[in-house]
Amino acid sequence: MRIDRTHTGWLVASCALLGAACVLYALARPTASPEPMGGTPLGLAFGITGFAFMIFAALLGARKRVPVWRLGRAQTWMRGHLWLGLLSLPLILLHAGFRAGGPLTTALLWLLIIVVASGLFGAALQHFMPATMTRQVPLETIYEEIDHVRAQLRAEAAERIARAKTIVVPENPDEEGAAARGAEPAAPLAAFYEREIRPYLDHAPGPSVLADRAQAERAFAGVRLLLPPELRDAVDDLENICEEERQLARQARLHRWLHGWLLVHVPLSIALILLGAVHAVVALRY
Amino acid sequence: MSAAPLIELTIDGRKVAVAPGTTVFDAARINGIAIPTLCHQQNETPVGVCRMCVVDVGARVFAASCVRPAEAGMVVTTCSERIESARHTLLELLMADHPSPCARQQHSGDCELETLARAAGIGASRFPRRAPRPQDDSSPAIAVAHDACILCDRCIRGCGDIRNNFVLARMGKGGATDIAFDAAAPMGESTCVSCGECMVSCPTGALTNKFVVSTALGAEHGAQSATTEELLALPVFHNVSGTFLELNKNAVIKRRYRKGEIVCREGDFGSTAFYILEGKVSVSISSPMAHVKTSGGERGFLSRLSSLLVGRANDHRAEDVTRRSIPIDAPVDLDYNHPVAELGPGELFGEMTCMNFYPRSATVRAETDCAVLEMLRNVLDTMRKNKTLRAQLDRTYRQRALEDHLRNVPLFRALDQEFLDRLRERVELASFAPGQLICRQGEPADSFYLVRLGFVKVSERHAGGELVLAYLSRGDYFGEIGLLGEGARTATCTALDHAEVVRIPGEEFRAMLDRFPSVRGGLEAVAQERQQANHERMAVLGSVPLESFLAQGLMEAQSLLVLDLERCTRCDACVNACADAHDGVTRLIREGLRFDKYLVATSCRQCRDPLCMVGCPVGSIRRRSSLEVIIEDWCIGCGLCAQNCPYGNINLHPFTVQADDPDHPGRKRAVVRKKATSCDLCTNQAEPSCVYACPHDAAHRVEPRQFFGSLVGAPAQRDAKGAK
Repeated sequence: MRIDRTHTGWLVASCALLGAACVLYALARPTASPEPMGGTPLGLAFGITGFAFMIFAALLGARKRVPVWRLGRAQTWMRGHLWLGLLSLPLILLHAGFRAGGPLTTALLWLLIIVVASGLFGAALQHFMPATMTRQVPLETIYEEIDHVRAQLRAEAAERIARAKTIVVPENPDEEGAAARGAEPAAPLAAFYEREIRPYLDHAPGPSVLADRAQAERAFAGVRLLLPPELRDAVDDLENICEEERQLARQARLHRWLHGWLLVHVPLSIALILLGAVHAVVALRY
Repeated sequence: MSAAPLIELTIDGRKVAVAPGTTVFDAARINGIAIPTLCHQQNETPVGVCRMCVVDVGARVFAASCVRPAEAGMVVTTCSERIESARHTLLELLMADHPSPCARQQHSGDCELETLARAAGIGASRFPRRAPRPQDDSSPAIAVAHDACILCDRCIRGCGDIRNNFVLARMGKGGATDIAFDAAAPMGESTCVSCGECMVSCPTGALTNKFVVSTALGAEHGAQSATTEELLALPVFHNVSGTFLELNKNAVIKRRYRKGEIVCREGDFGSTAFYILEGKVSVSISSPMAHVKTSGGERGFLSRLSSLLVGRANDHRAEDVTRRSIPIDAPVDLDYNHPVAELGPGELFGEMTCMNFYPRSATVRAETDCAVLEMLRNVLDTMRKNKTLRAQLDRTYRQRALEDHLRNVPLFRALDQEFLDRLRERVELASFAPGQLICRQGEPADSFYLVRLGFVKVSERHAGGELVLAYLSRGDYFGEIGLLGEGARTATCTALDHAEVVRIPGEEFRAMLDRFPSVRGGLEAVAQERQQANHERMAVLGSVPLESFLAQGLMEAQSLLVLDLERCTRCDACVNACADAHDGVTRLIREGLRFDKYLVATSCRQCRDPLCMVGCPVGSIRRRSSLEVIIEDWCIGCGLCAQNCPYGNINLHPFTVQADDPDHPGRKRAVVRKKATSCDLCTNQAEPSCVYACPHDAAHRVEPRQFFGSLVGAPAQRDAKGAK
């Protein structure tokens, strides 16, 4: 989600809420002999509010499971998740009186910091990455279709080189490179295909010059010099196929970044909610 | 039929009365008096060139009866010694150059000239034969024997007036006159499309069909070729060229079906029509009368995995149409609540499949042992020209389907039975060729139209080009707004294929408005809505440079789903929401064209020119009043709309339903039926589900010209709710 001017209302409301909480904390906390804050009415209020914000943030996952239920727009839920989730950290810190406490509460505090940090990291990714992906991957496809498209590219490249091998080139001994080509004009291209293009498209282990655009351009330029004009189209086609493969690889990497952080954020959030509930029960009962 | 008084005249001593405008020839024919002719054919405009049909009307000279209008008090003699002498001389002159027996006489023995000559007792002509004229065998389908041509003009009228090909014309002057193709090119090198109209129009052997291919319709169901004699004995093949039937004998075959056998199934593609000779057949739609559920999400997790068809009783939709009948490719329409009808001898079905290759609209099963003629298009074409058949088809339509069509027009629901019965007899039935104009935008409105067969394109012309408003099919109507307002047509209506319409004259329509004030009120409300929509549409069209979107076809869309790629995290929430809202079947794909930073998702665009609608055999894909494209309950799953959509936005979804088991009567078995699905903008919700479910404010339904207009500099407003 892009953080832009449309978030201004949420930002202002969050700052106001945080400011009010800080004022209340400052007024309520005696500086002479600080005592545990959590058990006081204000501390409990901070804790309940912070936990409620965490639960609301966690409910985003459930909300996404019922997308057509008219429970408020998904965009509203997402913004609430961001801002209220962010607010939960200072509120819990105020609830804890800036003390870690026992093992459970210490673990909870660290969990909360990691969850919020990962959330901020994810928010930053979602702010910048879509534009990056749009700019760097003009040939983007649906992520789940990448393997299918790659298979098509492999087939297309194989068919293209097979067709190139059948092209008949008129004899012209005066033409530059004619002697080097000999009787098989597509031989240099075929060799390049077997040596570089096919392993690259097949994702063979090891580095490939075709993985980098600049190096690939130089490699293809070198191949062109060895080929008659009639085969330049084939070279162009193969070069385009390799470019598309590079873009798919880049898309897959960016997609993993864009969504991979959730593998940290979501499980830790669930753990945070569960442990938070345990803490609430234990703290209130005992 | 006009209500003007009839004209009374006397023909051969018999008093007759005919409608004004009737020719003497037709007046005689209607009253059973035959007048010989060579250049006149019932389906062509008469020209009076052969003079065989001359009659004595009491004037200084004989009159060609095919062009002479009947007048009140006229006394006509069709056969007198002087008239017979004149005809005899004409025949002799024509026979002088005629290569008797000509090709037609040899093949089928029915050359019209030689038949008349034989009847007149003419053998060898006393007039000298002129130098022979050449043969033209350049065409692969038609042989041209200029020697046998009597310059009757029938071929020229057939090529021009009927087929609108305009290849044939007269060439030369006086005795050197001849027919010519284009600028006197050999027929095979001309722009002739070998439709055969000239050949079937030719009364002699001047234009005859070459035996090109061995047409062979399937041999099942006791198929047997119908002999030429058998066919010519049928009233519907009366006056059809025997040569034509002889050379196309395998293009029309007789089939026999036992009781219970299927003649054709709905949704199957075909290229033939059927004419019932004996017995009865039932016509029905066996696909369930239900639609794909369009609101979901509230059911349990497991139940969401299966897709469901829901009938109207269980899932009323806001756009539920109030049509009572389903239009099909037969002389009758099917009642929605009981979609079964019966056809009997003399009835024709499958015309649209045969003429335009649309899928079969219904399942036809033999109710009794029956015999039918199955025919290809060239034979059906020829049959439809027969006035007896036309009259029979018209009569059947008036009796069985016209009232339903009238009742389907919301304006006519308030009419009483008496007025409907009056309308039924006063309407005119008209045919239009593909591309033929029915009415033009701006011209005076004089009629109201119902579509009886085929498709009619309704379009509007404006500065940016032509905007197609709708494709109308059987049972739809047009022309009412022009009759109410300033009297000018608000749109251009063109026959998209072989279309037949019911024309209600303006005076009848106005009489209806005077007699039923509620109808006028309803019509005025509709007119006001349309004018408002028209103003809004013209304002948009005038403010945006349309040429910017031509390359991507975006100008054809009224509502696009665009994804802002700089906000979209590719989470597929939109796709999941769409699937959730439509019973697990998504109607959008997050892939498509790109325009600036936006992705135009593959989802119904509610096109201005809805090609998906063309050819629907049951008229189930149609527009709402707000121009949204919806698919009705009676979709038979033929898939034609999916094929026609240029953007791949319509898909067929299979459903498992219980249907009668034909092998075990009384039992049911599970069968898979398909229904077409496309984006319906979630009309039962305030906002499309895909837009509602996007957490990143990336998905928007927009009106493209307004939306993209802001990108190309024109002042515009983005409307996130699109064209709802």
